Amino acid sequence: MSEQQNPVTQDEIHAYVDGTLSEARRADVERELERNPELAARASDFFALNNLLHDRYDRVLNEPLPARLRVAAPAPERVAVRAAANWTRFAGLAATLVLGVGIGWGVHDGMGGSGASGGATTMAGGGDLRAVSAEGTERFAQQAALAHVVYMPTVVRPDAMDESQEQDFVKWLANRLGTNVHAPMLSKSGFELSGGRLLPGEDGEVAQFMYHNAQGERVTLCISHRKTSANTTAFKLYQDGPVNVFYWVDGDFGYALSGGIDRKVLLQLAHDVYAQLTSR
Amino acid sequence: MDIRDELIEHVPRLRRYARALINNRELADDLVQDTLERAIARTELFRSGTDLRAWLFTIMHNIFVNQVRKSAARGTHLSVDDENVPEADYAVPATQTGALEVRDLDYALQRLPVEQRQVVLLVGLEEMSYADVALALGIPIGTVMSRLSRGRERLRALMAGSVPRANLKVVR
Repeated sequence: MSEQQNPVTQDEIHAYVDGTLSEARRADVERELERNPELAARASDFFALNNLLHDRYDRVLNEPLPARLRVAAPAPERVAVRAAANWTRFAGLAATLVLGVGIGWGVHDGMGGSGASGGATTMAGGGDLRAVSAEGTERFAQQAALAHVVYMPTVVRPDAMDESQEQDFVKWLANRLGTNVHAPMLSKSGFELSGGRLLPGEDGEVAQFMYHNAQGERVTLCISHRKTSANTTAFKLYQDGPVNVFYWVDGDFGYALSGGIDRKVLLQLAHDVYAQLTSR
Repeated sequence: MDIRDELIEHVPRLRRYARALINNRELADDLVQDTLERAIARTELFRSGTDLRAWLFTIMHNIFVNQVRKSAARGTHLSVDDENVPEADYAVPATQTGALEVRDLDYALQRLPVEQRQVVLLVGLEEMSYADVALALGIPIGTVMSRLSRGRERLRALMAGSVPRANLKVVR
């Protein structure tokens, strides 16, 4: 009824897409989108465009600066701040997951359940094994902690993925990371998968899975496909304020499990993740 | 804090925007360099407490518009090719469709009138508020909205079939 007096305008569709629409009008726009498939298609294309722009050009942020653009020698901590900014840039893109699922739509499976796909994973055996750069993995842990803090609040009411969405999303991720990735099940410990997204990382893209339990506690798992293979490392702990991160490297992959929960519980979860992701 | 220190923070973002705007690494970095030089030469004109980012984007905009005007007068074109970008450096193994999408995006962007391209990029990539875009480009906010709308519609048409249609579902 309110839209009779107050029809949704073009400008409001754009503001909705850009996340600048007032809370009050969001509901009106969403009702209108549900009613009007043509409008919904346009809005979702606009969402997708914004995502494509980031997909295509955000990499520029990480390119080393040519000498002529160096205003002054950047101090090391400044570099860290910039890296942090990259991770925070996506905060508030609540639609990322949904778009991710949408973009992954085309993949229809010939594969069975996730068990089968997990079993199909082959590690590049006999590859070049190098010592893990301690600094590199710690930075990964640091980013994982940051991503945990940045993204968890955006999953306010985990819009639980149903099974088919979850499979699509996992496949889409697998495509992007160039590998078979699946989200481990942590329901045994009371944590359910509530979402996931793909983040730009220094070493390529990073898959982030989010879990929550009945108490509303949250943990996130980051998986990165490393450029260099490495021997399996032990769990290491990284702590950033209230957030603990257990991280480790296993062959081509780096893992980081973050959460503001009891360290022992988190370690147990890390063991659980490890057991599931290396059962091959 | 020295304004130079603050400038550094903005360089990567200026580069990102310039790259999307011009789609040629060298020319885009030229534009960033010109912007930084002019900003440094005029630091006394910058009023502390105001938005440095907006100020920098305004400078960049003015330089860019002048360049476009000049090159139009000379009858030359800004190259839209950037074959030098070593995709493999940062790309994970891309799927076929992924590669097509990004090419299409570059292509489509360059086919957008400059005025619309600027607004689409400042809003969509730089995530500026509409009011800040209006300030940076020196145009009324109504003009921002109409350019944004036309630009996005145009891009949508140019990329029809290649933009994966996301099933819009509202995440609350």
